[in-house]
Amino acid sequence: MSLLAVNDVSVSFGGVVAVNGVTMRIEANEIRGLIGPNGAGKSSLINAITGMIRPDSGTIVFADRPIAALPPDLISARGIGRTFQHVELFRDETVLDNVLTGLYSHHVYGVVAAMIGAGRARRVEKETRREAAELLEAFDLTTLAAAPVRDLPFGIQKRVDLARALAVRPQMLLLDEPISGMSEAEADAAVATIRALAAERAITLLVVEHNMRVMMRLATRITVMHHGAILAEGTPDDVHSNPLVVDAYLGNADDNA
Amino acid sequence: MRAHRIIIVIVAAFAVAVPILGSSYQIYLVELILINIVAAIGLNLLTGNCGQISLCHASLMAIGAYTTALLTTRFAITYALALPAGVFVTTLLGASLGYPARRLSGLYLALVTLGFLEVVSIAIEEFSDLTGGVRGLKLEKPELAGFPLHTAGLYYFVLAVAIIAIRAGLGLRHSRYGRAFDAVRQSVIVAQALAIPPGRTKLLAFSIAAAFAGLAGGLFTAVVGFIDPTEFDISASLRQITFIAVGGLGSVWGSVIGSVILTLLPEALRGADEYSDVLYGAILLAALVLAPTGIVGLFAPVFRRLGGGKAQLS
Repeated sequence: MSLLAVNDVSVSFGGVVAVNGVTMRIEANEIRGLIGPNGAGKSSLINAITGMIRPDSGTIVFADRPIAALPPDLISARGIGRTFQHVELFRDETVLDNVLTGLYSHHVYGVVAAMIGAGRARRVEKETRREAAELLEAFDLTTLAAAPVRDLPFGIQKRVDLARALAVRPQMLLLDEPISGMSEAEADAAVATIRALAAERAITLLVVEHNMRVMMRLATRITVMHHGAILAEGTPDDVHSNPLVVDAYLGNADDNA
Repeated sequence: MRAHRIIIVIVAAFAVAVPILGSSYQIYLVELILINIVAAIGLNLLTGNCGQISLCHASLMAIGAYTTALLTTRFAITYALALPAGVFVTTLLGASLGYPARRLSGLYLALVTLGFLEVVSIAIEEFSDLTGGVRGLKLEKPELAGFPLHTAGLYYFVLAVAIIAIRAGLGLRHSRYGRAFDAVRQSVIVAQALAIPPGRTKLLAFSIAAAFAGLAGGLFTAVVGFIDPTEFDISASLRQITFIAVGGLGSVWGSVIGSVILTLLPEALRGADEYSDVLYGAILLAALVLAPTGIVGLFAPVFRRLGGGKAQLS
C-alpha cells in the first residue's frame, strides 16, 4: 500500500483550473521529485495535500486514512510536514524558540500544570528542550541557538526551517524549493543533508524544485506536471529523456536550469 | 548575587513594608497596582502573545467583580470561595466569547469585543435589582474563612495572589502554550504546518485572559469595597491596553512594569491640576514613539547585562 495516494484530485480558483484530475502514488521511503514549469500546479497540489486548499474533487489518502477533509494542523499531526518556498520562520524569535515551537504536539502537558509549574510540566519541558538540542546539533545550529533568526544568512535560515519541520516528526516531508536562492556549493551540501536525513530518519520526501541538475541527483523518482496535469513520471533518467518533458521545458526555457 | 536578584530583593522588601510604613491611601494605591498587574498579564497573553485584540477586558473584570460581590453579599458565601467562583464564571463567559471570536481577527474582533463590552454594561444597568445598576453595589469587608481581612491582611492577600498570577503568567509564557500563542500571532498558516490548532489556541488565550480578568475583578471588589459600571467601561479597557503597550507586548514583566508606571503616573501628575490629563496623554505618546517595543524592550540590553548575559525578560 502506498504511503500517499492522490486520486483524481482537482483544484480550481474561480474557474481557473490549477490541478486537473491528478492521480499520484508515493511509496514509503521514496524521494519523489515534483517538477514543472511555473504555473504547472505544483504548489496547488502541495497545498491540497497539506490541507491548505480543499480540493474540488478527488481523494487523498495518507497511511491508509483519507485526509482531504482535515484541517492543516490535523494533517500535520498525522505526519505530513512541510517547509515553505519563502522561508517562513518566526523572525524575531531565536533559533531555539523556532524549533521548540515545532515540538508542540509531541510533548504534552496541561494548561494548569504550566501555570503552577507542576513537576510534570517541568519534566516534559526538559524533554522538549533535549529534543530541540538534538535537532540543533543535527543541523549544526547549536552555537546559534540564542541568535534571533532575522540576523542569520538565508542559507542558515533554510537549515532552521528544516530543523523546525522535523521537530513535528513527520513521516513524510514536503519540501517546497529547498535549495532556491543557494549557491551551487550550498545546494550540493543541502542535497547531501536532505538525502542523509531521509535515510537516517526514514522520512519519505516530496520535493518541489526548479533546478533540474539538483533534482536528477536527489530524487529516486520524478513526477512532471504541466498545465495542472501529470505529464510524465519515472526515474530521473526516464524523465530526462522523455520528449514530452523536453518539449514542456523548452517552451519555458527560463525555468530549466 | 547577581544584580537582577538584588532588584528582586529590594522590590520584595518594599512590597512587604508597604502596610507597615505607608499611609492607608498608599496601601490602597499599591493594591490597585497589583490588581492592574493581574489583569494586564491576562490581556498581554491574549493580545501581546496570541495577537488577538480585545476591547472588553474590563467587562470580564466586571463579571469577576460582580460575581464575587453578589456571592458574598446576597448569598453570604465566604470570600475564599466567592473569589474562585468569580474566576470560574468569568472564564466560562470568556470562553463563550472566545468560541465565536476565534475565527475573527483585527477590526472585526475589535468590534465583536466592543459589542460584548456594551452587552455587559447594559446587563449590569438593566438587572439593577441584582447589581444595583448605575447606583453601584456596596460591599462589606471581605472575610477569609471566618477571619475578617483588615487593611494589612487584605494587602498581603492581594500581594500573594498577584505573585501567584505573575508566576502563572511566566509559566504559561514559557510553556508549549505560550509558544503556540506566539506562533498563531505570527502566522496561522505556519502554526498549522507545525500541528498547532489555531482555533483551539485562540479559544485558550481568550479563556486564560478572562480568568486573569475575573481574578483581578474579584480582588477589586474586596479592595475598593464599592463597584459600579463606570469602573469597567471602555476607557478602563483602553487603559489596560496602554499598560501592556507601554510596558511591553508579549512580556509578563512588561505587564508588570506598565501597570506600575501608568497607575502611578496620574498620582505624580496631580500637581499639574488641569494639565494632568494632557500630560498623561503626552507621556503615553512619547513612551510609545520612543519605545515601540515597550519599556521592557527599551531596557532589554541593560537587563541582559544585569542578568549576566542570559536574561529572560519575558
